[in-house]
Amino acid sequence: MIPTVSASGLSLRYGGTRALDDVSLRLTPGVTGLLGPNGAGKTTLLRVLATAVPADRGAFTVLGHDPSTSRGRQEVRRALGYLPQSPGFHPDFTAFEFVDYVAILKELTDRTARHREVRRVLEEVDLGDVRGRRIKKLSGGMRQRVALAAALVGDPGFLVLDEPTVGLDPEQRMRFRELIAHAGEGRTVLLSTHQTEDVAMLCHRVLVMAAGTIRFDGTPAELTERAAGRVWSSTERAPGAKAGWRTGTGTFRNVGDPPPGADLLEPTLEDGYLLTLDGAGAEVAA
Amino acid sequence: MSAVMEATAPPVATDEKRRGRAAVLALARFEARELLLQIPVALTLVFYVGYTLYGLLFPEDGMDAYPALQDVDRATQSGPSVLLGIALLVCVNRAALRSRRRGTDRHFDVLVMEPWRRTVAHALSVVPYAVGTALVVLGAFTWQALRPGAVGHGSVAELAVAPLFVLFCGVLGLLIARLFPAVFAAPVLVILLFAVSVFVSASTGDAEWSRWLSPIVSENSNETLPSDLIGRPAAWHALYLVGLVLLFVTGAVFAGHGGRRTWPVKAALAGTLVLTLTGAVGQGQGVSPELTAAREKASTHPEKDQTCVRHGRSEYCAFPEWTVRTGTWAGVVDRVQNLAGGSAAEQPLVVRQRVEARYGLDGDGTIESSTTPHQVTVGTRWGGNRIPEFASAVASALVAGDEAKGGELCDGRVVTVMWLAVGGASDPLSDFRHVRLDDSTSGSAIVLSPTSPLSMSAGQTDVVREVLSSRPRAEVTSAVKSHWDELTAPGVKTADVARVLGVEAPKEADDCVGE
Amino acid sequence: MGAVRGVSGALVGAVARTVPWRAVGAGAVVGLLVVGLPRMLSGEPDPWLALNLLRGAALVFALGLAFLLDDPARELTTPVTTPRRLRTSLRVALVAPVAALWWTAALALVPEEARPPLGAITLEAAATVTLALAAAALAVRLTDEPEPGPSVAAAVLTTACLTPLLLPFHWDLFVPVDDPRWDAAHQRWAGVLAGAVLVWAACGPEPLRRRRVLRRDRPAGALGRPGA
Repeated sequence: MIPTVSASGLSLRYGGTRALDDVSLRLTPGVTGLLGPNGAGKTTLLRVLATAVPADRGAFTVLGHDPSTSRGRQEVRRALGYLPQSPGFHPDFTAFEFVDYVAILKELTDRTARHREVRRVLEEVDLGDVRGRRIKKLSGGMRQRVALAAALVGDPGFLVLDEPTVGLDPEQRMRFRELIAHAGEGRTVLLSTHQTEDVAMLCHRVLVMAAGTIRFDGTPAELTERAAGRVWSSTERAPGAKAGWRTGTGTFRNVGDPPPGADLLEPTLEDGYLLTLDGAGAEVAA
Repeated sequence: MSAVMEATAPPVATDEKRRGRAAVLALARFEARELLLQIPVALTLVFYVGYTLYGLLFPEDGMDAYPALQDVDRATQSGPSVLLGIALLVCVNRAALRSRRRGTDRHFDVLVMEPWRRTVAHALSVVPYAVGTALVVLGAFTWQALRPGAVGHGSVAELAVAPLFVLFCGVLGLLIARLFPAVFAAPVLVILLFAVSVFVSASTGDAEWSRWLSPIVSENSNETLPSDLIGRPAAWHALYLVGLVLLFVTGAVFAGHGGRRTWPVKAALAGTLVLTLTGAVGQGQGVSPELTAAREKASTHPEKDQTCVRHGRSEYCAFPEWTVRTGTWAGVVDRVQNLAGGSAAEQPLVVRQRVEARYGLDGDGTIESSTTPHQVTVGTRWGGNRIPEFASAVASALVAGDEAKGGELCDGRVVTVMWLAVGGASDPLSDFRHVRLDDSTSGSAIVLSPTSPLSMSAGQTDVVREVLSSRPRAEVTSAVKSHWDELTAPGVKTADVARVLGVEAPKEADDCVGE
Repeated sequence: MGAVRGVSGALVGAVARTVPWRAVGAGAVVGLLVVGLPRMLSGEPDPWLALNLLRGAALVFALGLAFLLDDPARELTTPVTTPRRLRTSLRVALVAPVAALWWTAALALVPEEARPPLGAITLEAAATVTLALAAAALAVRLTDEPEPGPSVAAAVLTTACLTPLLLPFHWDLFVPVDDPRWDAAHQRWAGVLAGAVLVWAACGPEPLRRRRVLRRDRPAGALGRPGA
């Protein structure tokens, strides 16, 4: 499959910190999950790919366009939808006006077509009923959906979503997953998240980042497979475990290198994620 | 059960209170540190400390070595502490609006610490800066007070103004944040307040009551008065400022979103308003009759307030705060008299300190020349140009008999007077230049003295300059002493004086300007 | 090229709604108040006072304009096809007529006999305002802060307070009308204006390359500080 996005050797430093360290990746249509602890460089990678900040070194293309020239960046932005981690709003705008404003800035010039498109994306994120309400009157979940609508407007081929489900209640999160899954049909979506369930349920591929580098690149099944034979249960906390916790049934669930003859359990994506980080020497929050 | 409740309830309440106070203090500390990280605050603070230090370490004028502490206290109010205040106003305002700006209001409003306590913490966060200002003020004042030439008394109320002003600005920023919760309000209002204060003082013709409404009241004056004649209502003004600060804090607690409108706060609001008004009324009363009488007495009959000290053959009468300086005056008198000849070399003088205090600090402080024979006037300021000015007054009293006649000299005796005045100085030519109003060494000019000035024609200037620059001091001294009667005779020609002193006579015959 | 083509009525309308009119308006109203105050006095108009009140008014207006480039939705609107230079220039173009009108009104409020030379005082005002805009553009260019306005305003105010104190005598900008340095001072004002315009122009384009020296030591996206 032809990659929508291909990047090689992306590096970026903030002062003494390597936020991105020689990152190369290829993204294909469908939803790709980006997992990693706080400070791993996920937001920085997303901002670079969204052309919000240029990288120090390295190059990437989106749908064949190179953003290191003004013209190329323009073309990339034409094909881009970006939902930042903390989107700001003009609180006095209505939801419709705000998305319309972003659509104008995305150079959707035909008024009728643009308004139709804005109504469409607002319907898509289920805000059709409140589109005339001012943003300052909307709940946090609704605002998040307004931001998603602003990212979706103009039907971009490449969607960058930075922790879109953070702070949403379980029902809203389910609703958001539906939206993202729907958006991933025929589009390339890069989804940064802390929620391994999001990845397990949505993504055809998953990247794990730590300390500015990509530590894993594969399918969710492959990531889960990494933990095969390395999750076991015991009655006491096992000394050799990288992480272990008492489950609701009273037994310990341990991840790490099991002793011989241990009672092995079915691994989850999260186990694979934790072991990937641990193998990379990153800090694991158990 | 109820007995147990009653027994345990009070400790819980005090514990709660103590924890609440501790939390407010912790937040105040946090906010104070945040303020220091704001560029305007850091920059103006560094500038304030640096500017003050520079002024102390590198004095511009010789007069700075002889400070009068009743002027020094007031001088700590103007200058860059005002800038620090403005920076704090803007930054406290911004800090108080931070949560609103970042949209964390809804979150923070439900925290344990109520919004009004956070307002109090913001107000307290300014306190370290006021304390810092107080330290700078005290440091500068102590430094000046420790100078060997320092005289007079400072006023605590005047010294308190700069720290209170800093506090005033900080809490004003806070009040603006609570009354107009928009980030652009404070910088814009700063300029408006400034313009309004200019307007009020202009529209009331600088009336005493309106002049003192401004937090810092400066005096546009070069006058130094004895400290009990200054008549600035400094204590009332400090009370007024304290009242304003407390009023603004209470107002900020009371006002705005999440304001606390309980009866104790309302009572405090009323109380601080009364305090402020008391200060405003107290400071606006103008000069009391007692002070007017005291000023009158000090200006017209200074001897009633003064004590006299004898140094050598002369007597030195000074206001009590200046008696320590009489020895320094005696040094100058001796220096001048050592150059004189005849009876003038042994003439006992009375050096009397005089002030013009009747118009207070903003009046015209010109003093009439004394007509008492052999009495010389000395002012309240000393150092720099004041020394040759005093020396020329001593010289003219020795040559002409009294100060008033000395001021009217226009013949060759002017050269003698100027020789006596500056001839014994370490750098006579430089003293000569500085004692002349236009700092020149050629052409006609006015020569300053503590009372009415002397005037020199261009010819006299040339003779004095040549004597000072080309003739050996010892030769001129002996020539003056041996020809004393000729050189001090009324009507002596400048050309004759020049001949006696061994320099070329001026071409113009005119001895007197305008004659 | 795209910049020019991108200007549509809809864009102008949308950008006009995002201009912080309240801040600009507050600066304008207070500025007029400052200039208009002496009108309430019956006495002779004072040229010195009028000159300095006009300077104060220009400063107040500039403080309002320090908020002009604030964009709470900056994170969302950064990667759009309409270039930043176009968006910011459009904001300036939208307030320019307001500014011109306001300045005319401010000058008209000053009695004719007290009015300073129009060209020179207008140059001073233009330089002050452009300096505030350049500072705002610099803040947008060098930081990720969506609303740098308060910091910019504080910086402008601090500069305005410190400059008259720190400038050496021969470089003074704030001279009275009858001062022999008036003309020289206005050459310096022209220099300030030119410098501010250059800074503004240099900060317009979004960088394709990063210059690390000017970057802040803080990961992107982590905006603001914790606190109350």
